[in-house]
Order: sequence, then structure tokens, then C-alpha cells
Amino acid sequence: MENNLKELLVFLTPLLFIANLVQSLFYLPAAAKVEGKGSMPRVLYYALLFVFFAAMMFSILTPSLLLMWVAIELTTLVSAPLIAYHSTKDSLEAMWKYLLICSIGIAFALFGTMLVLYAQSTESAKWYMAGFAFILAGYGTKMGLSPFHTWLPDAHSEAPAPVSALLSGALLNCSFFAIVRFREIMPDGASLFCDLAMLFLGLLSVAVGAVFMVRQTDYKRLLAYSSVEHIGLITVLYSLYSTSASQKLVMAAILLHIAAHSLTKTMLFQLAGNLLLAFQTRAISVVQGLGEVMKKEAALWISGFILICGMPPSALFLSELGLVFSAPIYVSVIVLVLLFVVFAAMMKAALNMTMGRPLAHYNKLPKRLIIVPSILFVMIVAGGTIASAYILISGGVK
Amino acid sequence: MLTLSEIAMALFLVADLALAGASRLKYAISLVALQGWLVGLMPLLGWQWSLEGCPEMRIWIIALVNSLVKGVSLPMLLSYAVRKARTRREVEPIVSFQISRIIVFLMAAGGFAVAHFLDIQNTSASSFVIPVAFTTMGTGCLLISARKKAITQVLGFLVLENGISLFGSQLLIEYSLVVELGILLDVFALVFILGIAIFQINRTFASTDTDKLNHLGDTHLMHPHHKHDHVHD
Repeated sequence: MENNLKELLVFLTPLLFIANLVQSLFYLPAAAKVEGKGSMPRVLYYALLFVFFAAMMFSILTPSLLLMWVAIELTTLVSAPLIAYHSTKDSLEAMWKYLLICSIGIAFALFGTMLVLYAQSTESAKWYMAGFAFILAGYGTKMGLSPFHTWLPDAHSEAPAPVSALLSGALLNCSFFAIVRFREIMPDGASLFCDLAMLFLGLLSVAVGAVFMVRQTDYKRLLAYSSVEHIGLITVLYSLYSTSASQKLVMAAILLHIAAHSLTKTMLFQLAGNLLLAFQTRAISVVQGLGEVMKKEAALWISGFILICGMPPSALFLSELGLVFSAPIYVSVIVLVLLFVVFAAMMKAALNMTMGRPLAHYNKLPKRLIIVPSILFVMIVAGGTIASAYILISGGVK
Repeated sequence: MLTLSEIAMALFLVADLALAGASRLKYAISLVALQGWLVGLMPLLGWQWSLEGCPEMRIWIIALVNSLVKGVSLPMLLSYAVRKARTRREVEPIVSFQISRIIVFLMAAGGFAVAHFLDIQNTSASSFVIPVAFTTMGTGCLLISARKKAITQVLGFLVLENGISLFGSQLLIEYSLVVELGILLDVFALVFILGIAIFQINRTFASTDTDKLNHLGDTHLMHPHHKHDHVHD
């Protein structure tokens, strides 16, 4: 599991970084033109973005668990100023919460790391369990697992679009990888405890995501809660991994889910950034009639919502199917009901925004802002189709 | 017989209790500095000089750098932030000092109970380390959540970190210089960035009270009738 996930992330993280770097090159000048208010120097922005990427790659590649901790903490430090790029009151608040909550979480992760390292010298399951509890709380905070997710909607909604996309698409995966690395070294005696803890927090995250999406009035926060939901799904899947009869199936589902979620969420956050520039608001109720005024954005926006809800040809369909097949029946039922709620909430928002008569005055956007989301869209659909075709040809899910 | 490191840990506990009741920022910062010194010097205090001879270079460097960063430069940075942001010099509790003291006391008791469950099987470390580390971490969390000012939250984070390093210095003496310095650098950079953030918050909000930082959030979704126009840009 660890090696497969590592291979995926080593490929996926640079891809997401490049997509958002290119989008930043298009987005920041457009944002400066529209907003015209003081923001940080652009050189500093790019410097921080590169260090952010380097820290994520380092956290994936380093063999040492303690150095991985150093790298993950470094990602918090360099991404915090990026969240406050526009230095408004709200973005400062979001940055403060992000720094403080994530640092406390990460401090717990350090403690957990120490407990696990000590446990390795004593071989006692009690110490392993105590360590994993702290690891899950610690890296879980950074990953956006409920109930430690409170910083996530604020940070993801206040950050400039490419940064939100990187936070949601790439950073959450790195923290998940950290949890996987610790889970892999747990002895059999601690296994049940770890799986139950992950299952509980995973289901809770899906539920919290669903509840807060239903009445959501802000489309960037809607996407942020969708990240909480997907992180929850990934955690639920991973909690089934060790006891599953077909580990290969569960692993494939986890990897597919991570890849598809990262790409789709990146595309959606980039589009959300474009909408924010065009309409100057994040209120779902104000943005209407997208289909008439911005046809391409509207098409991508609504198909992105359909894909992130796990409709074919998104690979999320396959992974969620895998979850339902391999989970115990009560877990499957809970997950399916919650997914239905999420679907309803997302469709309501997407249809509200794309249909109807355009109300608001809007700014014309440069055409190049849509290039990267379009490429990502092609990749998601092509990837999902190829994965589905492969499974059909190789004899289906057994 | 009590060893030197056990005496140091007792001092740590006293500092925790004093922190819970500290009403002046300056006093609280010097208590954190004291903890920083203790945790920095812990590898040397815990060293069995008569048995093991003089410790190697690595341990001297770690002890020196740790105590200088945690005992001198971080407290100086905090005092500087207090002066520069012109915050009032009081701590401004949300939970009263008296109750905070009781909470820390209860956490210490809980820490000893946990230590009974998680027994240390390594003879060189003192059995005090678990309760003291837990209490210190708990005190840190208390300072973060039950005090108003942004700067006391940073202070609380440092106390939390001290608790963790105390644990690390007692049970995992063998980790490498790179790791130790990396962790230290992260903590230093974090406090530095938090300090800059405090300036910015102070400039933008004309206050460093964290009550002012409560605009974001989704609680209005739960009370649709009191909805204020939350979404704007």
C-alpha cells in the first residue's frame, strides 16, 4: 500500500503543482486587474509556492518519519502566507486559524511519532495504540478529518484559487500518506483499534461534509466541505483495507479515488476562482444564469460537479462502487445515504448557478483562464473512461 | 533518591501550575523561558556522568542550541511582539485563573493515572516523564483555548511544544542532529510567522483579541433566521 501510494503521489503532486503554477500565471494578473487592492509581491508568492511544492515532495520521499514531520510542518508555514495573499480581514483570520490549528495538530503528530518510535523499542501494543491516536488526530487535522477540520473551509475559501486547489488537491494527500505510513507499521495487536478509529472519523467526516453542504451559501466553502467528505471516504476505504478479503480491490479504489478527487477538485477550485473574478462574490444565490453569460465555464462547472459526485465516467464512481462492495452492509448503507445527500446539495447549487436569468453585473475574463481547467477536464474524463474500460475488459469487480 | 532530571521535571510541573495562574504576560513569558532552559538542558541533566563519562559532541550541541532557542530567542521574540503590538500587559483569561489552576492540577492527576497504564519499560528514563509531559501539553492547550490574546495562544503553543520535547528528550535520546535541528527550525519559524501575523492582525483589526477573529464559519447555517450577509468579497 505504502509504495503504491508513494508512486501515485510522486506522479500526481508535480502534475497538480504545474497545473496550478500555470493557472497562477494567468490568474494573478487578472485578479490584480479586477481587485486592484494590496496583495503580497508576486515574486514572494511564486517563491512560497515553489517551497510549498518542495516541502510536499520531501514529505513524500523522505524515509525518516521525523523528517517527514519536519516537511509537513514546513508546508503549513509556507502555505499560510499564501492563504493571506489578498491580506483582507477575512483572509488574515483564515490564515491565523490555519496556522494555529494545524500547528497544534502537527505538534500532536510529533508526539504521536515519538510514541510510535518508543513503541518500536518496547514492542508493546498499548504504546502503538496511544501513538496512532495522536498521529490520527495530528495528521488528521492537516488532512481535514472531522472533527479537526474547522480550519479547512476558512482557508480553502479565502485563499486565491490556485492555492485553494493545491491545498485541497495535493496537501491533503500528503497528510493521508503520513497516516498510511504509520498504519503500515502498526502490529496486529493494535490493528483493530486503528481501523475502528479511522472508520469512525471517516464516516463522521462524510457526515459533517454532507450536513454543511446542504445549506451552504458560499460556493468555495461548498467545494471545501466536499473535500472533507472525500477525505472521509478515502479514510473509510483505508480502514477496510487490512481486513478486506480482496485487498487489491480496496487498494485500487483508494488510489483511484485520490487521483480522481485531486484532479477534479483542482479543476473546480480553478473554475471557482474564475467565477469569483467575474462576479466578485462567493454567494451561490447571486451567481445565476452562468449558462447564458459564460457558456464554457458553465459547462465545465456543472460537469465538474457531476464528476465530483461520482457519476460515471468519473473514476470516483469506480472507487465508491468498490467501497460499497467491500464494506460491511451498515457502512455501505450509511455511506450511500450520505452520498445521496451530497449529490442533492451539489446539484442544487450547480443548477442554481448555471440556470436562470443572469442577475449580476459581471466582469469579462481573459480566455486563457479556462485553458488549464479544460485540460484537467479532458484528463479526468479520459482517465475515468480508461479505468472503467480496463475493469470491464479484465472481468469486472469480483 | 531523586535524580537531577526528576528535580527538573518537578520544576516543570510547578511552572505549569504557575502558568495557569499567571496574570502578567511578562511573567508568563519568563515561565516559558524557564521551561525552555529545563527542556534544553535535559539531555545533560539526565546524563549518568559517573557511568558514561563525558557525553559526545552531538549531545552538547543539541543541548546548547535547544536551550538558546527555547530559553532565550523565542521568549525574546515574544516580548518583542508584546512591545511592538502595544498590547495590554495582562493575560485576559476566558476561564478564570483559579479554575485554570484546578484544571492543571486535575490534568496532572490524570497524567499520573495514564502513566500507570502506559508503563515505561526503559530503565534509564524516569517514570515522571509521562505525567509531566502530559500535564505540560495539557497546560499548553489550556492557554491556547482559554485565553483571549493572540500572543497567549502562541505562548500556549510553546508550552505544548515544551511538553513534547520533554518527552522526546527523555525517551528517544538517540535521534539524529538533523532531525533535532529540523524540528527546532520549524518551531522557530512558526513562532516567527505567528509574530508577523500578530502585527498584521493588530494593524488590520486594531486589536489582538482573538474574539475579533470570528467572522468566518458556518454557524449561521444552523440559524437561518438570524443569517447575516456572510458571503462577500
